[in-house]
Amino acid sequence: MWQFPVSDQVPQISGNRQACGNSFDKQQRTFIQMRTVLKVVDNSGAKKVMCIQALKGKKGARLGDTIIASVKEAMPNGKVKKGKVVYGVVVRAAMQRGRCDGSEVKFDDNAVVLVDKQGQPIGTRVFGPVPHELRQKKHVKILTLAEHIA
Amino acid sequence: MASQVLPQALHMIPRNQVQPFNPVKNRGFSAFLSRGPSPLTTSKVSVSGFHSKFPVGSSFSCFARRGFVVRAESNPEGEGEAEAEGNENGVEEPEMKAKAEAEVEGEGEGEDEAEEEKPKEPRKPRIKLGDIMGILNKRAIEASDKERPTPDLRTGDIVEIKLEVPENRRRLSVYKGIVISKQNAGIHTTIRIRRIIAGIGVEIVFPVYSPNIKEIKVVKHRKVRRARLYYLRDKLPRLSTFK
Repeated sequence: MWQFPVSDQVPQISGNRQACGNSFDKQQRTFIQMRTVLKVVDNSGAKKVMCIQALKGKKGARLGDTIIASVKEAMPNGKVKKGKVVYGVVVRAAMQRGRCDGSEVKFDDNAVVLVDKQGQPIGTRVFGPVPHELRQKKHVKILTLAEHIA
Repeated sequence: MASQVLPQALHMIPRNQVQPFNPVKNRGFSAFLSRGPSPLTTSKVSVSGFHSKFPVGSSFSCFARRGFVVRAESNPEGEGEAEAEGNENGVEEPEMKAKAEAEVEGEGEGEDEAEEEKPKEPRKPRIKLGDIMGILNKRAIEASDKERPTPDLRTGDIVEIKLEVPENRRRLSVYKGIVISKQNAGIHTTIRIRRIIAGIGVEIVFPVYSPNIKEIKVVKHRKVRRARLYYLRDKLPRLSTFK
């Protein structure tokens, strides 16, 4: 089985970073950690959340992980209000995630779906593509609500 | 001096290079020696055409001491020839095979076969250490090509990939998009496909020779003047959309 070594400390190893002309103004894609602002892609009412804790992982959360976040921006009438502390599942990450067959997937933005403590999504719809890594993480409900599974 | 002993069960295949013992001596000497605890039994010993120089007496006495069985094959198993090589100390060495070259003489055929060695094979070219990975990669690629031929892929191709996902066993996932880069690494040659899915750009890296990929098809080609199209990430989504 091909195991593509995914290491994020060194820019050289991940993908084709080296091929960029000037890598100083290009941000190296890294984990989702404290102070990372993510987009909310369900209809729970929140628009933007800021991560305050990655539940698993010393360096930060990746695609498919759960985080604790604080709502920074919300719709006026929604299930969650601004300033609320919520749990979320990362459904899109700008950092590539390796799969067991040697392929990798990365998205253009960071997005999260708000869930409750048990892992059930608060909203009733999910927008945009989601990866099928969620199936392995037992977030089947989110997969069924998704528009497109990448 | 005891002749080299050959296990009876083996055919006479000279492993090492046969060294001519002495062309004169071995002519006409045919003996298959088998080692074993059996008492000395000599049957059908034909020593016709024996050269006088060969130290018969001493050999036989050696044989008698060791209890070797001296047996001349009437029906040779093959054209195997083994050369009898003197073993000075007479130590039994089971590992030493087929150093002996003895002529096979048919029963009643008195022809003298000049002792021949097996025709020397042309020397195989030595495989250098640096080439090994290249050879292994080529072999692996050929093996994967046999199962599924891989088309020639270049940056700028718009391809459609049918992938078998172990979790989604019902049907194959289809990925369409433009190849924005190709990394050549032997069997782990990968291509990066970019596409706008549901409003969000997605880039997926596929190993080209993966057995999970059931089909790769080049649908179109876009003229690009670069080997890596990372500029597409900053451009309008319209440029990365493929129906």
